[in-house]
Amino acid sequence: MPDELVNLTIDGVPLSVPKGTLVIEAAKQAGVLVPHYCYHPGLPVAGLCRMCLVDIEKAPKLQIACATQVAEGMVVRTQSPQAKSGRMGVLELLLINHPLDCPICDQAGECELQDFTFQEGRPATRYSPDYAKRFNPVEDFGPDVLYVPNRCILCTRCVRFMEDVAKEPVLNVSERGDRAYIGIHSEGRLDHPWAGNVVDLCPVGSLLSKDFLHKARAWELDKAASICTGCSQGCNVTLDTRENVVVRVRPRSNLQVNRYFICDHGRMNYRWMNRGDRIEAPLVRRGSELHVTDWDEAFDVVASRLRGAGGKAVALVSPKVSTEALYFARELFRGLEWSGAFQVVMGEEAPLAGVPNLALRAERAPNGRGAELLGYSRDYAAALAAAETASVVLLLDEPDIAVRTAGALIYVGTMLPERARDAQAVLPIANVAEEEGTFVNRDGRVQRYFQAKSAPGMARPAWWVFSELVATLGGSSGHVGTAAEAFDRLAASVDGFRGLSYAQLGFAGAVAPAAGVPA
Amino acid sequence: MSVSTHPTPQPGTEEYEPVFVGKTLEQLSEILTRYPTRQAALLPALWLVQEARGWISDRNMAEVGEVLGLTPAYVKGVVTFYTMYHQHPVGRHFVQVCTTSPCNICGAEAVVKALLDATGAKELGATSPDGKWTVIEVECLGACGFATPVLVNDDFIESVTPDKVAELVKRYK
Amino acid sequence: MGYPHKPHAKETVLLSKHFGEADARTYKGWVKRGGYEMLAQALTMEPVRVIDVVKESGLRGRGGAGFPTGLKWSFMPKEKKKPHYLCVNADESEPGTFKDREIMRWTPHALLEGSAIAAHAIQAEVVYIYIRGEFTEPWAVMERALAEATAAGVFGAIKIHLHRGAGAYICGEETALMNSIEGKRGNPRIKPPFPAAAGVFGMPTTINNVETLAAVPLILKKGAAWYKGLSLASPKSTGTKLFSVCGHVQKPGNYEVTMGFPLKDLLYDLCGGIPPGRTLKACIPGGSSVPILNREETESCLLDYEGVVEKGSMLGSGGVIVFDDSTDMVYQIMRLARFYAHESCAQCTQCREGTAWTTKILERILSGQGKTADLDLLLDLADNMTGKTICVLSDSCAAPVVSGIKKFKQEFEDYIAGRRKPVMVA
Repeated sequence: MPDELVNLTIDGVPLSVPKGTLVIEAAKQAGVLVPHYCYHPGLPVAGLCRMCLVDIEKAPKLQIACATQVAEGMVVRTQSPQAKSGRMGVLELLLINHPLDCPICDQAGECELQDFTFQEGRPATRYSPDYAKRFNPVEDFGPDVLYVPNRCILCTRCVRFMEDVAKEPVLNVSERGDRAYIGIHSEGRLDHPWAGNVVDLCPVGSLLSKDFLHKARAWELDKAASICTGCSQGCNVTLDTRENVVVRVRPRSNLQVNRYFICDHGRMNYRWMNRGDRIEAPLVRRGSELHVTDWDEAFDVVASRLRGAGGKAVALVSPKVSTEALYFARELFRGLEWSGAFQVVMGEEAPLAGVPNLALRAERAPNGRGAELLGYSRDYAAALAAAETASVVLLLDEPDIAVRTAGALIYVGTMLPERARDAQAVLPIANVAEEEGTFVNRDGRVQRYFQAKSAPGMARPAWWVFSELVATLGGSSGHVGTAAEAFDRLAASVDGFRGLSYAQLGFAGAVAPAAGVPA
Repeated sequence: MSVSTHPTPQPGTEEYEPVFVGKTLEQLSEILTRYPTRQAALLPALWLVQEARGWISDRNMAEVGEVLGLTPAYVKGVVTFYTMYHQHPVGRHFVQVCTTSPCNICGAEAVVKALLDATGAKELGATSPDGKWTVIEVECLGACGFATPVLVNDDFIESVTPDKVAELVKRYK
Repeated sequence: MGYPHKPHAKETVLLSKHFGEADARTYKGWVKRGGYEMLAQALTMEPVRVIDVVKESGLRGRGGAGFPTGLKWSFMPKEKKKPHYLCVNADESEPGTFKDREIMRWTPHALLEGSAIAAHAIQAEVVYIYIRGEFTEPWAVMERALAEATAAGVFGAIKIHLHRGAGAYICGEETALMNSIEGKRGNPRIKPPFPAAAGVFGMPTTINNVETLAAVPLILKKGAAWYKGLSLASPKSTGTKLFSVCGHVQKPGNYEVTMGFPLKDLLYDLCGGIPPGRTLKACIPGGSSVPILNREETESCLLDYEGVVEKGSMLGSGGVIVFDDSTDMVYQIMRLARFYAHESCAQCTQCREGTAWTTKILERILSGQGKTADLDLLLDLADNMTGKTICVLSDSCAAPVVSGIKKFKQEFEDYIAGRRKPVMVA
């Protein structure tokens, strides 16, 4: 049953939008961004910053676009002299007590106060130096959040997030008038598992992440879309890198998965992506030692091991590895008695109470579901037992597993653990920030992640390593050149993914047909 | 950047004496029957605390929160909004003098000065050395025709002029 | 406790008939004076009939907005699906206004009776009377009166509760009042939704002023036509109004006159005029949130909703503040701006920052450091603060500034040019 549509015009652009749409949202469809602060699609409407003032024909006064619903025949002008003057007035008033902190403020370059002031603010101030600006000292709100009251524009996004989305009102507005500031009770701390979102929500540099403090300038950052590897929720994130180092993780909006938010566990979970102690070249055993070699020789050595092997092959894989890699790793053992398993570190679940089906999940890995769909088992003990008598054991990016085997151990991973020194071959792979691939979240949604930085040395994506091995072994399909090809091969042959295509996944992903709960 | 940190909560050195016990709790229970939500009893509950203790501490706010199912931060946000709630101890006699324009043009500022002198409080908002008096200026008290009105705790005294101040102060022990 | 004056011959004494009679505050005393008869009658009428009578009478909100009361009541759902509420606005904090206080401390039962009749008309089971925290005496009187009347059973199924405010002028704004009752910060709400659709606790609610409700029993008793007939000028303004006159008059106090009464007579006759040796300089006719009238406008102004608008101001709450020629208009406008800056709830940018900046500019002018550009700046600020916020506190701060600069520009210029000695330190 389609929504009733309403026809209106915004800045001359005719639109047809569902009844009940807010003017500020309808404007986006006309390509118009109405300047705003307190409004956020993930929060209840407050209508208090007054920044989104627009001219609506037949209305006697300017109206706020964030709280006005579309009406049939409505004519909205965001650029009328009256509307622009009203918004310029708001900007001027926001700036009178706002310190000239841009040179030392983390938000510079991604600051909405800067942006809208540049766009339609007053070129010079009529306030300073005649009057002293309001001053309050910086406050430490808790584990990661600093509050700089001087920069606060009292949009109350943070208060509303904690109250209505996190459902833990630990922030308030204190005092009245121009003495107001964001307060926290002396017995309170901002340690909610999702509290870090207030830093993203803050339009200015008032709420800051201690982790990111003074670390990099916004304009120095490269951004890549990725998927959080912290748990099986599959929150969409953006990895910010500076000179090939991941320096920050921010949420990317996906209305089907995490809406606009990520939890603090995922937010802080990126330092491992920058570890320097990586395997940078393929290693093969010659005698009692591992020797550095090139990919060609490495593939030859591994292929020969596999050709000669009869009997059992056991694959112990990490649930943090891409679906494509897991697929080709399985293909590698066609013809052998194969068993594959994975295990997942578990933790405490921490839901975001105000959003349905969103939590830091107990399963602390991004691709357990993907592994399951590809036939990997969760019975790790059985696999470990089987490994002891297997002829080939593949250990995929699991540095902490103590494997005992009489057969050949092939280690494929990012770091070189002690026990891998027993391996016949060690193949270096890229981590999630260094390649393209997919994960399948707990709801069966297949989501793409993109490359944010380059892999060290000769490390390559795991799907490439395995697909090359398959090709070397004479597999029918030939070489796979791109992540897209890798996925499309997978979708063509695995029931759970049939019908999906890489192109179709886009930035929001798609639910694997046989796999899961339609979102 | 200088940073002020919130004190990490420590076990209280003195035992906290709850406000909502006995008769006060009974009063609150009766008040709760007047509203469909517990939250609506917040302003009345805060008045009960101030009547009992003379002011509302952070710990009191936490207790009110527990009793009504609200976070301490939420309660604090409400307390700091309403200027009649004291967030720190004040003199035994809390004096509020209206100085908004209608009283202002009838000499309210002179009344303030006279009170600051007569009580020994000397400065607005300060408590006199003997702990008896705190004097503040407030906005319109709704008695403009009887300038200048003065509230001493709950006593609403009309038509105060500087010459009546000495006598007024004497009335309070 | 001050006693009201003896009624002046030119007053139309209806609401204030029993001011000063201690006995009238008791239940028995009020019944002796005919009290609660109209409530009993109203309870036998269909609610919609009661609304009709009040609509016909032309009674308009006496808190400041002047909205037709019967019309407001008719916005409530006719079909009762959810709990309905009546909130009584006894938060009287508009500078210059002190009439509701008198009604509550002298004729509490008039308010209670009017509230109960209104509750019946809008099908509300619960009434909250929101009394500002500083009104300790009205609170005590109302508490006693409420207990007596409730015990006597006059309210039937209607429950009336008193709710104490705690020092916030903004809680006199109807949606902020509702938030305050709900146990929240007294922030005004964006509209829609309107109170009649979703008010206190999200339920259909009507908010009425004390003086408005106190008139209801009289209207029911003497009839709508009678009330409508009480009108000296504009037929759209009916009944009597308690005007709170304060400032530079000989006999400040509350005076009850028929709508359309000349302001000149109120000041010079009823109030005994300006103190000797002084002349009238300015007057704010409706509480500090309305534009200031100069002498000429004051002396030709008729006191009804239309008459004051004609002079460029508003009847508002009827708080008449009188300034004689000894007044430093710049200082008083600064003091009013400071009032609004103190009371701003902090939601809207224009109000939160604008009221404080306006105050600062005026303080600088008064400290001898004002600049010519400051006047244009004040007017520009006032324009930004008008018609762009959730509630009208911001507009209210702008009103005295704009009218003050327009009509008393010389005084501002004298400070700026250094012709007048600074009265403040920067």
